[in-house]
Amino acid sequence: MNDSPAILKFSQVTIESGAHYETGLWNSSFDLNQGELLLVRMEREDERLPLADATEGLVPPRQGSVLFLGEDWQRMSADHAAAQRGKIGRLFEDEGWISDLDVDQNIMLSQRHHTPRSEQDILEEALKLARVFGLPGLPRGRPGSMRRWDLRKAACVRAFLGAPAFIILEQPVRGVYADLMAPLVNAVQSARKRGAAVLWTVTDPKIWNHSSLRTTTRARMFGSELRAVETESP
Amino acid sequence: MHDSRAKMLISGGAPSGLSRRTLEGVGVFVREQWREVQYLAAVLGTVLFLSAQPRRWRRTVRDVFKWQFFFFGVESVRFILILAVLVGMSVVVQLGVWTGKLGQSQKLGPLLVVVVVRELGPLFANFVLIVCGGSAIATELGLMKVGGEVRVIEAQGLEPLLFLVMPRVLAMALAAFCLTVIFVFVAFASGYGFGGFFGHSNLDPAVFLNSVFNALHPFDAIGFLVKCLLPALLTGVICSTEGLSVEGGVTQVPPAAKRALARSLFALFLTSALVSLLTYS
Repeated sequence: MNDSPAILKFSQVTIESGAHYETGLWNSSFDLNQGELLLVRMEREDERLPLADATEGLVPPRQGSVLFLGEDWQRMSADHAAAQRGKIGRLFEDEGWISDLDVDQNIMLSQRHHTPRSEQDILEEALKLARVFGLPGLPRGRPGSMRRWDLRKAACVRAFLGAPAFIILEQPVRGVYADLMAPLVNAVQSARKRGAAVLWTVTDPKIWNHSSLRTTTRARMFGSELRAVETESP
Repeated sequence: MHDSRAKMLISGGAPSGLSRRTLEGVGVFVREQWREVQYLAAVLGTVLFLSAQPRRWRRTVRDVFKWQFFFFGVESVRFILILAVLVGMSVVVQLGVWTGKLGQSQKLGPLLVVVVVRELGPLFANFVLIVCGGSAIATELGLMKVGGEVRVIEAQGLEPLLFLVMPRVLAMALAAFCLTVIFVFVAFASGYGFGGFFGHSNLDPAVFLNSVFNALHPFDAIGFLVKCLLPALLTGVICSTEGLSVEGGVTQVPPAAKRALARSLFALFLTSALVSLLTYS
């Protein structure tokens, strides 16, 4: 019996679409525990969902609550919420790079900010991950000067760096399926083995039906409602 | 016509519709400006409060501070040097000439302290910072906001106020102090040098320096610091908040930068005038 709280708990969450998203979330509930993988399929025309932002407490729900490691984002102090976000690794749908920093600085930013780890230690882990994802080393130079597929691999390095408790992968292999799918699936399995929870969003049916993705739960967006369609034992 | 006149008489000469609207507009404007001042004061207070806590100075924040100081300070040195040499040529030489003609050479020191140290130094240094650094802050943060980079920073658990605003505001203040000191020394040196070169000044360098240093009072240091630091802090806050308040697309960034510059310049001249008034009254 596992007594630790769910890594992520959505309880009847309703979020309006607003100006930033193509659709909202309506009355959505799910739990994501240690070592679990939730695969969410979205419609192509409704790709921009508040789901990932809501899991990080960046958008307040109109109704319901989002709990991360047993705590409601809305009840956390700003400092504590920031520290908790440091435990999340995220691969942003729209890449999400700070254009004024080099890619390697972008990759190590969160770890350098939230942890007292030495630069060398962070760098070594980042290099190891870079090789896992098929990069010869840590990319240097501004994000704007990089090739898109290299940036996608670098985004994977950033998402897995520092052994985060929760990993959000927003359409991670879009446009780089052949190169990235196998190392990404391996990295996800390793992260799950050490107890991380993973949320993976897809629009591509090929990935949705991928046999090597041993998901805990598969859910689909029906309009703005997130509904589990298949649940397996981990 | 008669009706309106009758109404005016009944209301005892109350303002007409147009003047009432004007008054209303003035009232709304004043209220908005007052809210803006309160908001800026709150942001500045928070920044100063946070900066006093060592645990806020994580290595990422220190990096931004160092980079911004380099960008504002070091990059502006060349510009401030040119201005200081020109001011030295015109103001210091002229003051030297006129005090000499009037037989008041002993007043040169106090006059230089008043004009260059108290007024022109902080004013020019902050002016250069607004032009070079303020516009850069507003534009950079505005582009980061519309490009979703601020959201990325937040999503990684870095607070924009700590990571983006605080280091910029404090780097601006430190740069203003350093640039003002450089400006004052270079203006004096160039003034003395050019005065001597063109035969307008026959003062011994030691006498010249003595007259300046003797004219400095501890109270000048306070006025100097306030005039250096306060406008720079306000510029940092104004430009950061204007940049971060950009909504919509990139087309909204230039108007925000323009607003930031106008407000920063207004804040510079207003604080400069107020501090002068308080100092001399």
